[in-house]
Amino acid sequence: MNDGLHVHIERLGSARQALVSGLRLAVPPGEILTLMGPSGCGKSSVLASIAGTLASVSEGLQPLQLQGSVQLNGRELSHLPTHQRGVGLVFQDALLFPHMTVAENLLFAVPVGDAKGTRSTNAQRQARVQQALQEAELSGMGERDPSTLSGGQRARVALMRALLAEPQALLLDEPFSKLDAALRAQLRPWVFAHVRERRIPVVLVTHDEQDVADPQRVVHLRATEESPSHV
Amino acid sequence: MYAMTRSVQAQRSGHVGAKAADLLSVKVLGPLLLATLAGLPIGAALWAVGAQMLDAAAWQALWADPQIGRAWGMTLWTGLASTALAWLTVAHVLASGFIRQQLGRWLSRLPALLATPHAAMAIGLVLWLSPSGWALRLVSPGLTGFDAPPPWFTTQDPSGLGLILSLWLKEVPFLLWVAATQMQREDLRRRWQAEYALAQTLGRTPAQAFAQIIWPQLAPRLRWPLLAVLAYGLTVVDMALIIGPATPPTLAVLAWQWLSDADPLTQSQGVAAAGWLTGTVLVGGVLMVVALKAFAAMRKFASRGSLPQSQATDRVGLLQQKTLKWVLHFCRRLPLQPNVMWTTILTTYAAVWFALTVGSVSGVWPFPNVWPELWTLNAWQQVASSAHTVWTTLGLGVASASVCLLWSVAWLELAPRRWQQALQPWFLLPLVLPSVLWVVGLYSLALHTRLEGQWLGLSLAHAVMVLPYVLLALVPAYQAVDPRQAALVASLGHGRWVYLWRVKWPLLQRAIASAWAVGFAVSVAQYLPTLYVGAGRFATVTTEAVALAAGAQRSLMSAYAALQMLLPIAAFALAAWLGRPRRFEKIAPMKATL
Repeated sequence: MNDGLHVHIERLGSARQALVSGLRLAVPPGEILTLMGPSGCGKSSVLASIAGTLASVSEGLQPLQLQGSVQLNGRELSHLPTHQRGVGLVFQDALLFPHMTVAENLLFAVPVGDAKGTRSTNAQRQARVQQALQEAELSGMGERDPSTLSGGQRARVALMRALLAEPQALLLDEPFSKLDAALRAQLRPWVFAHVRERRIPVVLVTHDEQDVADPQRVVHLRATEESPSHV
Repeated sequence: MYAMTRSVQAQRSGHVGAKAADLLSVKVLGPLLLATLAGLPIGAALWAVGAQMLDAAAWQALWADPQIGRAWGMTLWTGLASTALAWLTVAHVLASGFIRQQLGRWLSRLPALLATPHAAMAIGLVLWLSPSGWALRLVSPGLTGFDAPPPWFTTQDPSGLGLILSLWLKEVPFLLWVAATQMQREDLRRRWQAEYALAQTLGRTPAQAFAQIIWPQLAPRLRWPLLAVLAYGLTVVDMALIIGPATPPTLAVLAWQWLSDADPLTQSQGVAAAGWLTGTVLVGGVLMVVALKAFAAMRKFASRGSLPQSQATDRVGLLQQKTLKWVLHFCRRLPLQPNVMWTTILTTYAAVWFALTVGSVSGVWPFPNVWPELWTLNAWQQVASSAHTVWTTLGLGVASASVCLLWSVAWLELAPRRWQQALQPWFLLPLVLPSVLWVVGLYSLALHTRLEGQWLGLSLAHAVMVLPYVLLALVPAYQAVDPRQAALVASLGHGRWVYLWRVKWPLLQRAIASAWAVGFAVSVAQYLPTLYVGAGRFATVTTEAVALAAGAQRSLMSAYAALQMLLPIAAFALAAWLGRPRRFEKIAPMKATL
């Protein structure tokens, strides 16, 4: 019963105004929940509350605070720092580290040890990178400068990087919005297939109806009256 | 169920409470400590000098001095003229470089210009412009008929033109460098290029697009640096000693002469003069901020397309816009290439370096000869035999630049953005207040802590002067960091240190390295603090070069001036090497598969 991601947002917002309130999300493992709404309604802030990165979205604005709970496989996350949550993130910009090669970007994500504390050897970690490159249909491109990749290739590297970190849940923040329609249509099934394969709960934020992964699991967020989108 | 939720919440808030105490210590005490560390010496120095300024006799002596009026007039003339010229030049270079898409290439030459210290520049210009200088040698006796140097005041001229020229040459690269730290920020660069292109699709010419869209956004960001340029021009001592007028000198030079006098009353008269100079800078700064506010009004005008609230600011804004247009227009009308300004500056710098190099190996060199009769390495041998001067310079530079860099990185990592914004003006104070004021404050601070004439005290005094430059060099790079990158690294399961060491700092490597080099160059160029706080016990290449400028040992003076330039250039070269972008393996581009 506790498996999957259970989010209950009583109130999310700054001291002065609430951005999101009374929101409950439940995502079983292997399912993809789509979170939709107009820009400024707080979609990305909901993701940030799950990932524990509210500090980075509220940069320059009023700091946002979460009242509520975030549970992943029965574990309460809301007091944990991001790096201990086991929640992966993919942004619309692939955000590949520009000073690392494609392979180094992927290697950066491969854990040095597993949950049982056994350390993997360098060769094992490299092998996982090569496998990921293969899955991303990018074999032989590991030594490339990420800035020489196409938009679709970058998006695939970004997803593989997030998955290599073995997250227990994955958040996709408008992962297709920077790509053209044809590329999106090709990339969508590839992404969905890969994340479903991992049997982890996934939350996808988008404002494009076509991005919906599972019509059974769609949550629409409405802009609150005094939300900053109107400013 | 309800009770259970409550208990979970209580547990959580208890946990949060314990964490909060931890966080408080790091998140508040850390930056608080850092702010005190840097802010306290600045405040204490100001306090010390302020206390000394409350001396009525000193002010009376100052007003009774027959030179004060003309000296102050000379200060205003040289300071304002050089600042205005530098500002217009920078506007022109940025506009023409941006429009021709060559700015990046032009600015890549900046480090060499920045690394040339003020004193070396002044000495190099003297080698060209003085009555026995190269300029006259090239045309003598052929055109002029001179067999001996004429009794002209082409340097140390009573109208201060030589000082204005050398200030202008030094301040333009500084302003360009600050502009470059903004324009080369990835986020701004992209946005401005897009807005610039957009403005042209709306029917603006490239020059109009730059004047109406880019410049109004850039100009306010140059507020502090421009204030620093104005303050520097109004208060410079070393350069004015070498190439500035002598009868009377500028007020800053007078203040310095009085401060170094043995008579206590004359000394306090010097303190009062430093105070008067500070007042001048502050008033000038306020006037300038008012002018720049007008730019902000103009920006609103440009971005919203509606009239700003106040008609008055609108008019000033339009006036500023017209001025820039006029500059652009004027420069287009000249029968010269648009990059004429930039070429002139580069050529002059090259000429100065050349003169210093040749001067340092010249022996006997009778007047109308273009080249020395005798070449000799005597001067360099003399430099080598007093190697401790070089070691002192290097030591002070490395120590103060490193301390300031460590402090700045720690500060920018730990301090909340609001603290940084609130305290930045305080940390930048040494940049805008006269160095004659700082040396008085720093010296009495050193006296109280018994650090006067000590290496530690001197390097700390250097650090106070270096810090604003290092901070100014680092802040734009820090502002450009994408906060999502930290979130991303954390989501991959890595802690803060992994983020800093493997992602953030490597990406900031270039900015960090060049901030260090800038700090080193600033330390090398320090003249007043070295003499005054060092109590005359420490000789650096700068104090030697300035001291020699008054004498007749051309080759030794040139050698020290060349060295004063070479050390920072070496630092910049090192920084460029350390901050070089990574070279990826060249692979033939593949067809994108997706």
